[in-house]
Amino acid sequence: MKRILYIEDDPEIGAWVREDLERRGYAVDWLTSGEGSVSRVREADIVVLDIMLPGLDGYSVGQRLKQEAPDVPVLLLSARTAVDDKLQGLGFADDYMTKPFHPDELAARLDVLMRRYGRESAREVRLGHLLVRVDEQSVIDKRTEKEIPLTAKQLQILQCFLRNPNRILTKEQLYEAVWGEPYIDGDKTVMVHIRYLREKLEIDPGSPSVIETVRGIGYRVRQ
Amino acid sequence: MKGTRSLFVRYSLIVLCAILLLPLTFPIVTIVLSLPFSARSETSNPYRDGSKLTAMWHREAKALSNAKDADIDAALQRLKARYPEAGMFWVDAGGRTRLYLSDLDPPPDVWPPSYAVSFMKARIGGDPFTVVAFVGDRDNGAFMVFEVPRGVMKAPGERVREQYPYVLVGSALLVLGLFLSVSLMFFYRLRCRLVRLERAMTPAPDADGDIPAQIEPGRQDEIGRLETAFNDMVRKLEDSRRREAGEELLRRDLIANLSHDLRTPLTAINGHVYGLRNESLSARGRESVALVEQKIGYLGQLIDNLLSHALLSAGRYPYHPDVVDIVRTVRTLLAGWYPAFEREGFEIDADFPDNAVCWTIDAAWLERVLDNYFQNALRHAKSGYYIGLRVEERDGGAIVIADRGPGLVGVSTDKGAGLGLSIASLMLKEMNLCADIVSGDPASGSPGTTIRIRQLEALPPSE
Repeated sequence: MKRILYIEDDPEIGAWVREDLERRGYAVDWLTSGEGSVSRVREADIVVLDIMLPGLDGYSVGQRLKQEAPDVPVLLLSARTAVDDKLQGLGFADDYMTKPFHPDELAARLDVLMRRYGRESAREVRLGHLLVRVDEQSVIDKRTEKEIPLTAKQLQILQCFLRNPNRILTKEQLYEAVWGEPYIDGDKTVMVHIRYLREKLEIDPGSPSVIETVRGIGYRVRQ
Repeated sequence: MKGTRSLFVRYSLIVLCAILLLPLTFPIVTIVLSLPFSARSETSNPYRDGSKLTAMWHREAKALSNAKDADIDAALQRLKARYPEAGMFWVDAGGRTRLYLSDLDPPPDVWPPSYAVSFMKARIGGDPFTVVAFVGDRDNGAFMVFEVPRGVMKAPGERVREQYPYVLVGSALLVLGLFLSVSLMFFYRLRCRLVRLERAMTPAPDADGDIPAQIEPGRQDEIGRLETAFNDMVRKLEDSRRREAGEELLRRDLIANLSHDLRTPLTAINGHVYGLRNESLSARGRESVALVEQKIGYLGQLIDNLLSHALLSAGRYPYHPDVVDIVRTVRTLLAGWYPAFEREGFEIDADFPDNAVCWTIDAAWLERVLDNYFQNALRHAKSGYYIGLRVEERDGGAIVIADRGPGLVGVSTDKGAGLGLSIASLMLKEMNLCADIVSGDPASGSPGTTIRIRQLEALPPSE
């Protein structure tokens, strides 16, 4: 069971969110102020943090938590919507969500964050006829139970998609995430690599089902 | 006390001094010239009185009756010692010049009778002042001569007095010159202080803010008071700036806090509504819950717009322009919106060029503007179920958003869209962009709206 350290001073919102997240199968450790959070962050898989807190504000608490446990993702959940607040928050936090919010969206974002930090319980992702073992960096074709050999770059591209499930990634975003360099205008590298990747993964590379093309925008892998 | 510090009084004093001094120059010069010397000259100058010299010479000559030549020589030597400025010699009975003790041109060694006459004629009343006395008794025929330049006989003061007109004019000029130089000095110092003041009032271009620094106040005259007044003004300006900044901060905080405080209960309501969904409800109940949820989302967005609008119109919305590839920005943004449109069953038509189109704008602002349009499209344009987004390369580039409903400019059901659109137009204006909106005519069967965002001053197309 995933443990969420939830810091929120509003009792109504706090009770509701805790209830909702517990219903979704998380263990929620709810504090009404930043006090005592640092000693408990190590036990948590993810932190959900309000900004307007009594005593130390969410920015200070969040920074301390990040210092204590840099590998625990922090999601700021705040009613402050100004760009300044977001920028200040994202200086250390991994995500910023504004109130009012939909609980499904919160759950989805928590899911993505934990996956990005490798705190996901299911280390296997099913993509159609494929089974991706994230830990072992291997892809298995379930029809034949055989591993599909991928190059390092192809694996990195696939992982990038898995870290951003259901999101459309533009070629610029893909290039910069995988190659770690600024995208140069007109570069066809991403396109070429996607084509090779599809030839290995897709049942019919002519009409791909795993890596979907969103015309004019980018690519998407649905889970 | 205060009076003497006034520039007016000080300059008036200078002028007054000059006016008084100028006519006073004449009597003063006269007095000065006559006074100190006249008292002294009688006693100090032995040559001053011609009659005394004459008497003295005759007395001496008389005393030499029956004297030998050597005695006469000795007497003359002694007298010469007493009157060093004077020349003296004697001529014996034979008409020969003896013991010539004078700096003047010597007479011939032997005096012809005619020379004696012409000598006497020349010297009577002439220069040098000459006394001729027979040595001893008249019958002897020898005579001794005492001569002294007339100039020596005059007192120094007397000599200066002869130059009286020049001295007078010179003094007058001196007084005038003095007045001029004092005036000049006065105005020069005035000017220096004014220039210093001017420099102080012009703030340095690299100084932060445009309020000049305070200056060290100098002497408390008119300029000094000006400096003090200037300092007061600067102080007040600084105070008001500080107050203004404080109020601005307060207002910003107020709006931000208000927004926060409105959102917090909204979140709680949202939670309860979400909880309601899990209860057993009638079809109508579920419909109501869905509507409440939708309105909560809308209200949250409205609060956000209110905050943004307040910040924008106060010029407090952070703006960081940079060279931005709009193709990339718009594409990335659309990628984020894609699922939302997809969920609603929209047909999405994206068309982007392969090359970058660069604008100098704040990417976050452009995203905010497009967010507003997309939101409107999503909310109001459902009848058309279409969103078209393309970036054009030519003429400096343009972003074109199109729909097939009435919704992009928000004239449909919800009235609140106006705020979002006015934020969009404010932001576009700030980024030197503009949006041409072409609304279709529902009657003609093409109810769609096209928004074309372009640069106001078309820059040369990049690459």
